[in-house]
Parts: sequence; structure tokens; C-alpha cells
Amino acid sequence: MSDVVEIDLNVPEGRLQELSEETGTGLSVEELMVIRDYFSREGRNPRDIELQALGQAWSEHCCYKSSKYYLKKYLFNFEAPQNLFVIKEDAGLVEFDDDHAYAVALESHNHPSAIEPYGGAATGIGGILRDVVCMGAQPIALVDPIFFAPPTTPSDKIPKGVKHPKYIFSGVVDGIRDYGNRVGIPTIAGMTCFHEGYLGNCLVNVGCVGMVDKKDIIYSRVGGVGDIFILAGGGTGRDGIHGVTFASKELDDESQTASRSAVQVGDPIMKEPLIHACLEANEKKLLTGLKDLGGGGLSCVVGEMALAGGYGAVVDLENVHLKESDMLPWEIWVSESQERMMMSVREEELEEVLAIFKKWDVPAVIIGKVVEEKRLSINLHGKKIFDMDLEFLTEGPMYKRPMKRVRLNNREVEFESPQDLSGTLLRLLNDYNCACDDWVIRQYDFEVRARTHCPPLVGRENYETHADASVIKPLEDSNKGLAMTTDVNPHLMKLDPFWGAASAMDEVVRNLVAVGARPHSFADCLNFGNPEKPEKMWEFVQAVQGLAHVVGKIGATFVSGNVSLYNEGPAGACPPTPGILGIGMIEDVEKAVSTPFKGEGNLIYLIGSTKDEMGGSLYLRTIGVEGGIVPRVNPYELSNAASAILELMKKDIVISCHDLSEGGLACALAEMCIGNGIGAKVILEGAMRPDIQLFSESNTRWICEVDPKDRASFEDGLRGHQVSFKNIGATKGNELIIEKGSKGIIDLSVEAITEAWQRPLWEIMG
Amino acid sequence: MNKMETKDINVCVLRIEGTNNEQEIYDSFKRLGANPRFVHLNEFRSLEDFQCLMIPGGFSSGDYIRAGAIFASRIRSTFWDGLLEFVKAGYPVGGICNGFQVLVELGLLPGFSRSQGKVNACLSRNDSARFECRHTLLKKMDSRKCAFTGLLPVGEQLVVPSAHAEGKLLVSDEKIYERMLKNGQIVFKYCDDKGGVDVGYPWNPNGSPHNIAGICNEKGNVFGMMPHPERSFYKENENGFSGKVIFESVINYIGERF
Repeated sequence: MSDVVEIDLNVPEGRLQELSEETGTGLSVEELMVIRDYFSREGRNPRDIELQALGQAWSEHCCYKSSKYYLKKYLFNFEAPQNLFVIKEDAGLVEFDDDHAYAVALESHNHPSAIEPYGGAATGIGGILRDVVCMGAQPIALVDPIFFAPPTTPSDKIPKGVKHPKYIFSGVVDGIRDYGNRVGIPTIAGMTCFHEGYLGNCLVNVGCVGMVDKKDIIYSRVGGVGDIFILAGGGTGRDGIHGVTFASKELDDESQTASRSAVQVGDPIMKEPLIHACLEANEKKLLTGLKDLGGGGLSCVVGEMALAGGYGAVVDLENVHLKESDMLPWEIWVSESQERMMMSVREEELEEVLAIFKKWDVPAVIIGKVVEEKRLSINLHGKKIFDMDLEFLTEGPMYKRPMKRVRLNNREVEFESPQDLSGTLLRLLNDYNCACDDWVIRQYDFEVRARTHCPPLVGRENYETHADASVIKPLEDSNKGLAMTTDVNPHLMKLDPFWGAASAMDEVVRNLVAVGARPHSFADCLNFGNPEKPEKMWEFVQAVQGLAHVVGKIGATFVSGNVSLYNEGPAGACPPTPGILGIGMIEDVEKAVSTPFKGEGNLIYLIGSTKDEMGGSLYLRTIGVEGGIVPRVNPYELSNAASAILELMKKDIVISCHDLSEGGLACALAEMCIGNGIGAKVILEGAMRPDIQLFSESNTRWICEVDPKDRASFEDGLRGHQVSFKNIGATKGNELIIEKGSKGIIDLSVEAITEAWQRPLWEIMG
Repeated sequence: MNKMETKDINVCVLRIEGTNNEQEIYDSFKRLGANPRFVHLNEFRSLEDFQCLMIPGGFSSGDYIRAGAIFASRIRSTFWDGLLEFVKAGYPVGGICNGFQVLVELGLLPGFSRSQGKVNACLSRNDSARFECRHTLLKKMDSRKCAFTGLLPVGEQLVVPSAHAEGKLLVSDEKIYERMLKNGQIVFKYCDDKGGVDVGYPWNPNGSPHNIAGICNEKGNVFGMMPHPERSFYKENENGFSGKVIFESVINYIGERF
């Protein structure tokens, strides 16, 4: 028993604080006092393994103690008929058709990626795949929104203990590529975003969508007393110890070395057969429960699975297969080593399950069983080293932390328009946030599994432009499709977290609609600063309310998500960043619409109204103006316009479509010209300043290309829904020409546009 | 002898840890009415019941040594003699992407009849030193005996997606290239949107000399290509050809011969 140490909690408060630091559990003094009271009722002191388990279970990462009150209050009280089982498990389940459901999960792997970009990002992919597999679903697509400081950041601006953003960016893409490609799941959507606020703490969000036959859905809970726990997959090692407690505090200049062991090591070639074996055993109805080992490792999975079934568990710790034989019991219990899954199995099915894992060359061992009483006990070579009430262990505290309103710089600003708007447009297209992401996208296999109907790059081979969303056709015998897109704009968020979050929702909906998909479900990854700072807590609550402002009105809700707080490093906090994954339903993938113009002589329509809302816009950032009004969102208008456009698309009236986002109308037109090398002539009217018309980022706007023969049906369709629109020109030649009051304001060849838009990331990243 | 019916054609789709394009190959044969079966190398018995062997793409065993090398060496230690007999009997063996790499590592490609199993080529790292996922244009070359392209006219173009980091076909001696050319073993070259085969990056995504995208052995029944026809089963060009033609051709080949 010398490996297990008793920890005396009957000590002064100051000593409790030290104990939290010495054990690395991250528990606060108040929390330790609650734990002390629990153990004094038990008549003893906790052992180290028990305290460590509490540190995991009660971490921000595992129990959402700062966020759950607000999520419940604002975000989770919407319903949608297609939702089957949402929020409660590792992935949300939504109906696909009568026989199938899809599973959605979205998570952050921010801190590990800041310390060790390659391993951090790779294991992020590994973890999100397991979240989907543990519902019994076959992963079909990965998405990955990633956020960095600009790769051009001068070295002397990099604080001590921080890695250069170019290095982090490159390592993160390598990690996602090597894991996602090897495991054979296409990475089909995402975003690459740059903002100086990510200097000390990059954000790496990863999402996964899977498909499951409804009869194969399985939950993360045990079936009944006597069920056996089987741990399958890779060995348990010292990699990933204290991952969740490390994720639940700020990074500092020593994190780079001190927390290296909190980052796990990924092994996609263990994962790939592990997925096959788990799904095979599940399809044969041999499992009663399935859950992945993620944050907190064994300490979270066993207790949660047992309690979710209404039971308790007994574990024999010596049976866990290890990478290193000299690990301490508490290390084994909290290690977050990758590529591990936990199953509960009835005794009579045990042999058959083990045989399946043997066939796939995946280690699988029996580590314990389900008992009646809701307690968890652990034995090591017959000696009890752990014995706790499961409800006390897993429930965790809930806080309503103090908030303080932040003074925002979101008032109207005055600025002069540059003379050369053509040159300005090229500068916008050249900005890393607007420019082509194909340096990233092409490193990911976006077509493995051969189900990618619309890839993230669309147009002629080697001249492709960005798609607004990618479309997967998940089933062999059905033409139904799922569209996926991710979005958030930290520049808007920084100026105004409420309207920035609402704008993110608007953009996600716009993207889905642009490819012909009806918004069907959302997942959120809420990346914010330290919740113990009242300003950061206020930003969080503002953003949650901004999301809620839109989500209830468009027929789809949040079905899954993750909160990542403490995204602060030596260079300060990251901008509030609620990353949103939107999933849309297309009844027939053949009717999906793409970005590039398709032919000359077609009409170009601008749908929606352009307002003087320039705050956080790419244009103001480019000409060096701070502040301004962040675009507003009217969710009813959004829902209405979305319905009108989708109806027209069903009738094949819309030939191409693109939403207006960063860089406004001018950048959207440019991106539509690029894919097929077809130009446009556009005439702007009205009293609004031409630069605002060109570059405003007002929400709820799209461009549609329409054959002249469909003019009447297109216009009538929009009028029928009272959606504002304007025919602004036609596709023509190989130049983008924009006039205002018979004066030319933009005149660029498509070649020059393509050049400016294509090159930036290749030039800096090589 | 009666022509073999498509429904009786058994295709062995071989998998190990890290192969990950097997479902697409399976689906491609299934859609055409053939009878594909997944066989894990751990459960492999013999090729006796099969008329075709397909080695799918992916990252077999992680490709941590060299693409395809581990899978090839495990095949050598499992059923090498059986495989040589299978090839000798004229049964088709196809490898796509990682499967192509495996066939080259096995010495079955370029595969001259007198030196079967001698490794004289490799699929080396792309010139860009990166994994490249992009749609590539392929031109069918003057290779008439290839079992997998019999229904595709010489000079025809296909759009087929590529996705690999190691696709540059290097041969140990330039004479091997000349022999392949003379024997009609060069099946596909990368081309540009005007059909030219004298092209560079990005039309040729990996820097393969002579823009070679796919080859067959001297006899024509072993075939490998880097791009993925199983991913472009439905996407047709103006003449109605898509990746499907590869699978139709091999089914037709088997039907005519066995």
C-alpha cells in the first residue's frame, strides 16, 4: 500500500491551498473543505487517488461548474422535433431519416495545442472521434476551426514561454492531417482564423459527425448489476496526466515545460481498428454501454457509466494494461492516454467481445464490474484503495460567478474612403482572414470514404474557390445529404460579444442556406477567458445570450457542445470565441448549390439589406480604423430569407450562391468569379457611400446567380416572403467591374483577383 | 467455356490496420453486381475462391517506415506463393494509392514477367513534401492489355481525386521506364485541362517523372494507380466516363477469361 498515500485535510486553510498545488488537483480551498466534510462523515482522510479523482471530476473541464447555470438558463431550453437525444452525452443524436440518426460532437483541444501543437491537435481529433463512436456511430466527417495569432507576428512581440504562431499553426495542421488522414475520416470543413489575441493561447476546435442505424444507438451507461467493464485499446501511460486540470487554469510562462506531460500521445493506427472493433461488437448487440476515455481518463468514465445506469462499480486496478509498469495507482486512474474505450458487457457475451478485439489486434482487458450500491471502490491486488459515494464524486459544484460589464469600443466611427477601391479590394483579398485556405484544406483528405458530395473547394480543377459549406451524402441508398460549416468572427466578438455571437449564428445559417441546406442542428465550442475574472464571465454570458437570440427562431437547436475557459496566456486572454458548427439537411444532394459563377449572361442578385455597420469589418481593419457598430441580426428576417432561398433552390432556380461575410459584397463577388474564371459587371445605386456598399458586413445577405429566363419566378419567390433583393448586374467576361452612378469604382481582371486571393498563405507558410 | 457471370465474381478486398479505402472499393464492385468481400489479413486463408484481389488505399500500419512497406512484408510472410500463382494464372490484382505502393513494394509492379517480385521502383515523397488532396485529370495512354482499363479508349480523359503524400513513381534505372513504355505498361498520365501530358505541378500533384499516375505489369493483370477511381464512381466526364470504368473493365476482363 505504500504507493497509496493518505492526505490529511484537517489542516489550516493556508495549508489546503498548498495541498491543491502540491497534488496538482486544481481544487479550490472551498472545494477542499467540502471534501474534508465528506470524509469526516466517512470517518477518515482521503487517499491520494480519491483526491485526484475528485480533482478530475470537479474540474471546470469535466463538470462545467462556471458555465452550466447559464447554459441551462439561456441555451438549452429550445426544442426541435428532429432532436433525438441531445446535450446529455458525449455527442448529440439527431434524426436523419426513419432508420438513421447522426451524431454530432464538437470540442476544444486548446491548451495541449499551445504546448505541443502536433500532438495536441492530433489527439483532439482522436478524442472527438471517440465521442461519436461511443454512441455506436460510424464517424463520417471531421471539422476543425483553428485560431492563431497572425503568422507574420514579429519575433520580438512573442512573450516568454510562448511559441511562434507560425510554428503553432504549422504543427496544428500537421497534427490534424496526420491523424485525420490516417484514421480515414475526411476533414471537410473548418476555418482558419487569425487575430493577435490568440498569441499566448491558440484555439484548436475539433468536431465530428457520425451516422448510426437507430437500432444500433448505444449510450454511455451500464446495463445492470453484474455487467463487466472491458477496457479496450492502447495501454495506459504517463502521457496526459492532469489534462483536464491543466485545461482548467491559465497558461503561464512555465506551462511549456511544466505541463508537457499533460499532453497525450496519439496513435491513429490503434484508433482505426479500435473503431472497427467497437462498432462490430455493438452491431452484434454484445454491449450494454460504451464510452470513450477522454478528460479524466478512467476516473471519469467508470463512475459516470455506472451512475448513469443507476448503479455503482468495483474495479481491480492491477488489470489495467500499462505502457509503463511503475505507474502509481492514482496516475493509472487519472491518465488520459489516448485510443481507449470502455465497454460494459453481460458476462455471457464476454468471450465473444474479447474475440472480436483479438481479431482486430486490439488489446481488451476486464477491469471491473457493476454493483448495486452507487459507490465506486477500487482494489489493488485485493486491497481496497478507493471507496466513495458516486453521486458525491461526480456531481461537482456549480457557481454563479460575479460579472462585470466590459467597456466596449462599439460606437459609430468616422473615416475617409480610400481613393483606389480596386487596390483596397485586392488588399482585403490578400488578408489572411479572407484569403484562400487551400494551403490548409489540401493537406487534409477531404474525400476519403467517397461520400463527399460537395468538397470544401469548388470550381475548375486547380482554380477552385471556397465552398460555403461542404456536403456529405452519408448513405449508399439515399440521396439525402448533410451540409457542414463552422464559423465565428473574433474581430466582431472582441467589439461586442452579444452581437458578435449572434453574427456567428447568422453566418452559419447563411453558409448552410447558400449550399441549399436547411439548418438542422448546431454544436458550440465556447472558448473564453478565466471565469474567475468578472469581465471574462460577463463576456461569456453576453455571448451565450447572443447565441440564444438567434437559435430559437430557426428550427434547429444546440445538440452538443463544449465550454473551454481559462484560455489565457502570458500575452493575455483570447478574444471571446464561440465556435459554431452548423449542420444542414439537404433532401437531394443533386440539388446542392455551389459558390462559383456558372456561366456568362446570368443575372446577379443581392439578397438582404446593406447597412452602415462597419465595426470589426475586414475593411476597417485594413484601413486601420478601430471601433464601429457590429452588425445586428434579426432572427425572424434570417429565418424568412432562408426559407425563401431554399424554396427557390429546390426548384433549381438558383445556379450559384454565396453568402456575404468578411469583405462584404466586393469580396463575395470576387470569390464567385474565381472558381470558374467568370467575371461580372455590377452597378450599385442609392445614396449610401460606395465603400460601405462594397465592404459592409451586414448580416443576412447572399448573392445569387439566376438564369434570365427564371427572372420572374425568382423575384416572385422572394417577394412572396417579403425578402428584400436587388438585381445588381450580370455575369460577363473575365473581369469584375463595379460601377456607381456611371463611375467605375472597381475594375479588376479575374486573374488579378485570383492571384491576390490565392497566394498569401502559400507565401508565408511555404 | 461459358462467360463468368458478374454475380459470381468474388473480389477479395484485403484489409489490415490502417487501410481505410476498403468500403469505397467494396461499394464500387457491389454497385456493378459483383461479389466483393472484406478479408482481414489476420483471417486470410487463400485466394482460391477469388477472381480478383484489391489492395485498398489508406495508411496500412501507419506507413511509418515507408508507404506500403509493412503491408507488403506482411503479405510476403502470409501468402506470397499463393499470390504469385494467382498473378501467373492471369487473375487481376489492383492497388489504389497505398495499394499501389504495396504492389510496388512487393515487386509486382512494374512487374516484368521474368523478374516477378524484384523490387525496382518506389513511390517516393511528393515534390511539395506535403500531403496533397486535389482533383487530378488523367489521360489514358497507349496501354491496351491492362485488365483494369479495357473499356476506356486510349486518349480518354478522367477526373479522379488524388490524396497522397508519397506518389512520385521513381524507378531504379531509366531503362525500366523505356521498357514499361515499350510494353504498354504506362496506363495513366496526369494531364492539364487542355489534355496535355507534358505538365507540371499542380496538374501533376507529386512530381512523378513523365507524369505517370498509373501502371500495369508486363502481362497487364496487375495494376496500380495513385488517384482514387473508387471516389469518383458517379462523377462523369463529357463522354460519360468516370472512375467506374476501372471496375467495369476488370469485371469485363474476368468475365471474358474465367
